Amino acid sequence: MHIRTLEISVGAFMLAGILALVFLAVKVSGISLDADRGSYQLVARFDDVAGLRERAKVSIAGVQIGRVALIEVDTIYGQAVVTLEIDGSPGGLSADTGAQILTEGILGARYVNLLPGADDETLADGDLIYDTQGALVLENLVGDLITRLGAG
Amino acid sequence: MIQFLRSFGGRSLDRMASLGRATIMWFTALAGLPGPGDLRLLVRQIYHVGVLSLIIIVLSAFSIGAVIALQFHTQLARFGAEDSVGLGLALVLLRELGPVVTGLLFAGRAGSAITAEIGLMKTTEQLSSMEMMGVDPLRRIVAPRLWAGVISMPLLTAIFNVVAIYGGLVVAVEWLGGDPGGFWSGMQDAVELWHDVGKGMLKSVVFAVVVTWIAVFQGYDTEPTAEGIGLATTRTVVASSVMVLAIDFLLTLSMYGEFN
Amino acid sequence: MNGADDNLIEIRNLSFVRGDRVIFDDLSLSVPRGKITAIMGPSGTGKTTLLRIIGGQVRPDSGVVLIDGQDVCGMSRRELFELRKDMGMLFQSSALFTDLNVFENVAFPLRVHTDLPEDTVRDLVLMKLNAVGLRGARDLMPSQLSGGMSRRVALARAVALDPNLLMYDEPFTGQDPIAMGVLLSLIESLNDSLKTTSLVVSHDIHETISIADQIYLIADGTIMGSGTPDTLAVDDSPRVHQFMHGSPDGPVPFHYPADEFLYDVLGDVNA
Repeated sequence: MHIRTLEISVGAFMLAGILALVFLAVKVSGISLDADRGSYQLVARFDDVAGLRERAKVSIAGVQIGRVALIEVDTIYGQAVVTLEIDGSPGGLSADTGAQILTEGILGARYVNLLPGADDETLADGDLIYDTQGALVLENLVGDLITRLGAG
Repeated sequence: MIQFLRSFGGRSLDRMASLGRATIMWFTALAGLPGPGDLRLLVRQIYHVGVLSLIIIVLSAFSIGAVIALQFHTQLARFGAEDSVGLGLALVLLRELGPVVTGLLFAGRAGSAITAEIGLMKTTEQLSSMEMMGVDPLRRIVAPRLWAGVISMPLLTAIFNVVAIYGGLVVAVEWLGGDPGGFWSGMQDAVELWHDVGKGMLKSVVFAVVVTWIAVFQGYDTEPTAEGIGLATTRTVVASSVMVLAIDFLLTLSMYGEFN
Repeated sequence: MNGADDNLIEIRNLSFVRGDRVIFDDLSLSVPRGKITAIMGPSGTGKTTLLRIIGGQVRPDSGVVLIDGQDVCGMSRRELFELRKDMGMLFQSSALFTDLNVFENVAFPLRVHTDLPEDTVRDLVLMKLNAVGLRGARDLMPSQLSGGMSRRVALARAVALDPNLLMYDEPFTGQDPIAMGVLLSLIESLNDSLKTTSLVVSHDIHETISIADQIYLIADGTIMGSGTPDTLAVDDSPRVHQFMHGSPDGPVPFHYPADEFLYDVLGDVNA
């Protein structure tokens, strides 16, 4: 085989491989090639974060705007301290924004849903979200229901 | 019983001696990092090891992607979750099947070819004559093949993943009438660059090192007979496959196992 | 180096054991400069190993191997590299590099050991190929060559650098009469024209005695006999005699050790 043809095919192969890697990075994992718009962090405290994992979605009105960065525990108050990483610059969320933990579908993954508030002031980097609602734990709901049905 | 223990012990010592020889060979070969003149040798090896493996990789990838998408679709449709086919397919491929299947195919196609070639060179005294002319066969024959394997296999894995996803797309969307938007967005939501793509690629690099090392060593260490080459080739395929699967198990546990 | 010392290679008290087999036991021999020396002996006596020891590929357990006064056994890689510039070896299987064509094979040692410009390399290669009569085959691949042609190309490659020492490992094995004749004449003419020292390892008696100036017979790790072809032919020690004349039975027995034939055959009859 002529050495030139061989070299060309090797070059093509390497190119194909690298393009495949790029494709995987961009199209498959959804990395945005736009300029990095940066992100800021908010903190929310929950009584119960059952099933919420790090890297879970944070969305508002069903649109993903960030991820759960860190889940820690405050043993003094018995609360979960969740750090949210929100895309973009601060100023889009009002100071009285609420946060709740919902489930995708019935058996899906947990995510953090933000409820818009009405305040003129907005949340800045590192601010705390006050209004939180813990995860609805299926077992508790069923237990609740059984109790109610029993009482009725 | 004593006899069994003796032979087992003997074989274990043999294996250990083999491993020792293999490690020495590895370091000696790597020490001869390719120089400018060796670039041509490297390119030639990448052709033999990478380019020539493309056909089997692409064909297998397409089939596997299609088949998995089909199976996932059947199961997920029960829960009305067909949109998750893309997601499931991508995660399974990137994390597991891509690196592992590519590793196995590579071991069978390129690994055995490398072993046979080096074994033949040893048997026909080409390695010896090279040495007598003052050329280090480790540098001229072994090192280019080692590097070619380590470079080619991750690239082949990436190509495998892409083609397999495409195969799944064809099945899920064209054939089964799924929603292409759902296919891709579900995937993009769940797949992460480092956690899924990155770690999968890391696995692939580890496999590449292991498979190529085994292939090269078996060829270099073979009994210089026709029979010996046959045995060595078989050993390469078997040992590489077992190692890929075993290491995959360990890597998966450490990368993705969440022990609560 | 002594002025009177006419030997290119001096081997003294060479001992080498592989596993539990004694390959060489206190062997000493010398290879005179400019002559054709043959090492002969029954198969498996380690004749090829001897060549490898001389070439520095294998290290003996004890003993001294002097090439031009320098001991090969203690040499560093660098020194071996330099030494091998001056050695050419023809392997039993010709050992041509299967991924290079004839021209590239012969050019290989030139490219490795010298910095000569391409034109010079080309001329030298063509000269060597011409000397073995295969200049027209320069673009063929080794797989396209017959056995005899491969050997000739390998020979051209071995002499590419005009070495002082040429070693031949079983060059006559399996050759047809014509190829044999070609090889014999090449070995002799190369020895004369290049003024090299030739060391031929073989067990083909007729061919070897027709060109050798001096012969060593090696068996069981030591030298059975040595001398010119003529002196050896009339040597009356039993082993030498058996080898030189190819007698089927003698000190090396015909029968593999076994019980008395009669008892074996009549085994089930009360003997």
